[in-house]
Amino acid sequence: MSERDEFDMLRSRPAPKPRNDARKEALAAALRSYDEKFSPTAQGTAGEVRLTDRARKLWRGLMNRKLVATPAVAGLLVLPLAGYAAWQFMDEDMFGLRTETQVQGEPVRPSEAAEEQEAGRGVVLNSEPALPQAPADQLRETARPAPAAPTGMAAPRLQRGPLGAESKMVAPSLAPAPSMDMALPRTESRDRFATFDTNPVRAALEDPVSTFSIDVDTASYAFARRSLKEGFLPQADTVRVEEFINYFPYDWQGPASADEPFKANVTVMPSPWNTGTKLLHIGIKGYDVPATTRPAANLVFLIDTSGSMNAPDKLPLLKSAFRMLVNGMAGSDTISIVTYAGSAGTVLEPTKASDKQKIFDALDRLEAGGSTAGAAGIEEAYRLAEKSFVAGGVNRVMLATDGDFNVGQTSDDALERMVEEKRGKGVFLSVFGFGRGNYNDRMMQVLAQNGNGTAAYIDTLAEAEKTLVQEATATLFPIAKDVKIQVEFNPQRIAEYRLIGYETRALNREDFNNDRVDAGEIGSGHTVTAIYEITPKGSPAQQIDDLRYGNAQVNNPDGIAGADEYAFVKIRYKQPDADTSKLITTPVTAANEIGAFDDASNDVRFSVAVAGFGQKLRKTDQLAGFGYDRIMEIATAARDADPYGYRAEFLSLVRLASALDGGR
Amino acid sequence: MTAMAAEIDRQDAQADDGELAARAAAGDRAAFAALVERHYDFIYHVAWRVLGRRADAEDLAQDVCVRLGRAIAGYRGGAAFTTWLYALVLNAGRDALRRNARGDRNVSAFAAHAQLMSEENDDDDPAERMWEAVRTLPDKQREAMTLVYGEGLGHAAVADIMGVTENTVAWHVHEARKRLKALLRPAGDE
Repeated sequence: MSERDEFDMLRSRPAPKPRNDARKEALAAALRSYDEKFSPTAQGTAGEVRLTDRARKLWRGLMNRKLVATPAVAGLLVLPLAGYAAWQFMDEDMFGLRTETQVQGEPVRPSEAAEEQEAGRGVVLNSEPALPQAPADQLRETARPAPAAPTGMAAPRLQRGPLGAESKMVAPSLAPAPSMDMALPRTESRDRFATFDTNPVRAALEDPVSTFSIDVDTASYAFARRSLKEGFLPQADTVRVEEFINYFPYDWQGPASADEPFKANVTVMPSPWNTGTKLLHIGIKGYDVPATTRPAANLVFLIDTSGSMNAPDKLPLLKSAFRMLVNGMAGSDTISIVTYAGSAGTVLEPTKASDKQKIFDALDRLEAGGSTAGAAGIEEAYRLAEKSFVAGGVNRVMLATDGDFNVGQTSDDALERMVEEKRGKGVFLSVFGFGRGNYNDRMMQVLAQNGNGTAAYIDTLAEAEKTLVQEATATLFPIAKDVKIQVEFNPQRIAEYRLIGYETRALNREDFNNDRVDAGEIGSGHTVTAIYEITPKGSPAQQIDDLRYGNAQVNNPDGIAGADEYAFVKIRYKQPDADTSKLITTPVTAANEIGAFDDASNDVRFSVAVAGFGQKLRKTDQLAGFGYDRIMEIATAARDADPYGYRAEFLSLVRLASALDGGR
Repeated sequence: MTAMAAEIDRQDAQADDGELAARAAAGDRAAFAALVERHYDFIYHVAWRVLGRRADAEDLAQDVCVRLGRAIAGYRGGAAFTTWLYALVLNAGRDALRRNARGDRNVSAFAAHAQLMSEENDDDDPAERMWEAVRTLPDKQREAMTLVYGEGLGHAAVADIMGVTENTVAWHVHEARKRLKALLRPAGDE
């Protein structure tokens, strides 16, 4: 042992000597249990020499926990149960530190469960399954050199508790074995998510302009999906509704030529979740650059190979994902690989994608080990990206990690500044998150937003395929950057509005025309969708009272042009290599309006269902009376072709969430 | 004690752990007694590291002894006895901490209070404060720290005990140190 540091003082404190009495008692207890084990007849004497009260209490506690007891719960709980059981099986950290991101509540203790039963109060239905902690303990004890009787895991044991409730307690059929696509959970979650408040309802009269940056990230959906498949409702703060909506490809009408990089399709329709309000739906489709005219790409994979990446859903998944990406690249594109673990290292100098074998070999050699030196790694990655810089092409660092950049002097701010500065030089950054337990979503978001890139969360190979193969062109080839949307509502027609999602992308009104303010980018063929819930003037659904002296504040007085318009949508963007922005405007008039929600196109209705789902998970007040069953109905009817099964998967997530949320 | 029994005792004192354990596993009560006698101090030592208070450590040590009595039959001699024993103690320690964490909050609050009041706890000792911090770490990190710093074991030995690779041990220690630094940083010093 040679570690010499400030923790050395830990060594300096010797444990005190045990007391002789305690020692004797322990030895006697050891022999007793030994005797019990080897000659069961000796059990009769067990009561003679007593353990200390406390030890006995502890021991009984231990026995109680082996008891698997649960109220007779409806079948609804089977899923959370499965997740919970798997969770217990996989992790011994069970009662380690609880952080604010941890989803699971304190399980109901057996005695409480028993009382519940005694009182005949019947079924307890909530999202916290009433389960004691049996599996982890039993598993461990059977896995280890195994004391005690090798009782079957599912065998019910009777409680010796004071309540005499044993006969009413049943062992649940333990753990439907975790299926292959059920991701394996961790207990002690240190995932970090920035918190934010849901957009409030605003009065169009006081606050007629809504401004936000475009967001093509999808990480939040993938993360929530994982959580649901593990049997937990995702925490509200991990749900960014716009990322849910934008996860799905929609068939919005695109622009005809590259001159106009994208086109906004606006639909106004009645809201499915509130009578009296409408939805203003803006679907933007980026120009799809034909494969033949794609610019050359210079990609640097910056791969986290720290020890924590040593999990099936991390490094191995990452390797497969990048292999798929490389397969789709043109031969003249350049690829480099930098790793960071302990010290940063270049694994592959810039190599032409035509030399696939060399790239694959480099990927295969990657192994997890050491700590994370993110800052050094990112510097090295940028150095390589600049070394093989393609003027007029795509120069991008693709960061894959499970956590944060934690070794090195660099503060988060300094790192952000560096990413920003490199963006100015034409090197963009995309972030791919893997794994769970130490996932630093906030950092990922910040880096990707500052680096003009996407942040995606990859939890399965299917997700890797979606992000890196099907949407590779969108991910890699930007057609516009700093895309901002500003919607001005006409207070003559609209009383209130509420932007669904995009909370983390809000911009100041004046930022819209300020070209120095950064915003999101749109890739080739990307679709971006934004939905407002609007309350027409005079609607009974209006939440904010009219101002008594309101007319004095109207900054859009009667008689102006376009007085019968609902709103005016303005989109500002820059060409990928330009510094000044261009403007696209679209008025929203009655011509955009559809009389009935069901008349809207499948894609519009599906995106609204997704928006509803996201808001439901965020427990948004406006959807309190709108059940998962309605979301299912809308999404099922609007499922359409769904060649990759994304929408089918969405339906299954809604079902899961509905079950986990008590069917509300 | 007969001369023969004394002779057996003497032999037991000389026999190595593995041999004693094997005999105990086969039903040799004297061998088992000798084994426990020999390792009680060690068990108590680790228990104290884990829990930090004499009364708790004594209870835990006794709990381990009881488990040992039932578990020894399963000892197959695959690993060194001490490695096996370490794992047993760590498991028991984890359970004990878990019970504490889960148990009545009032009791633990009172216990914390009592601990502050007790003379046995040397509050001014920075090493003890650091151990307190170690006890709040997640299981794996705490165990790695206990074995590396408390027991002075090498990473390879710790890896054996914890059933993970050396790299993982190094990572747990690294994470633990990072966390400890944050925990021990004076409030307000960001």
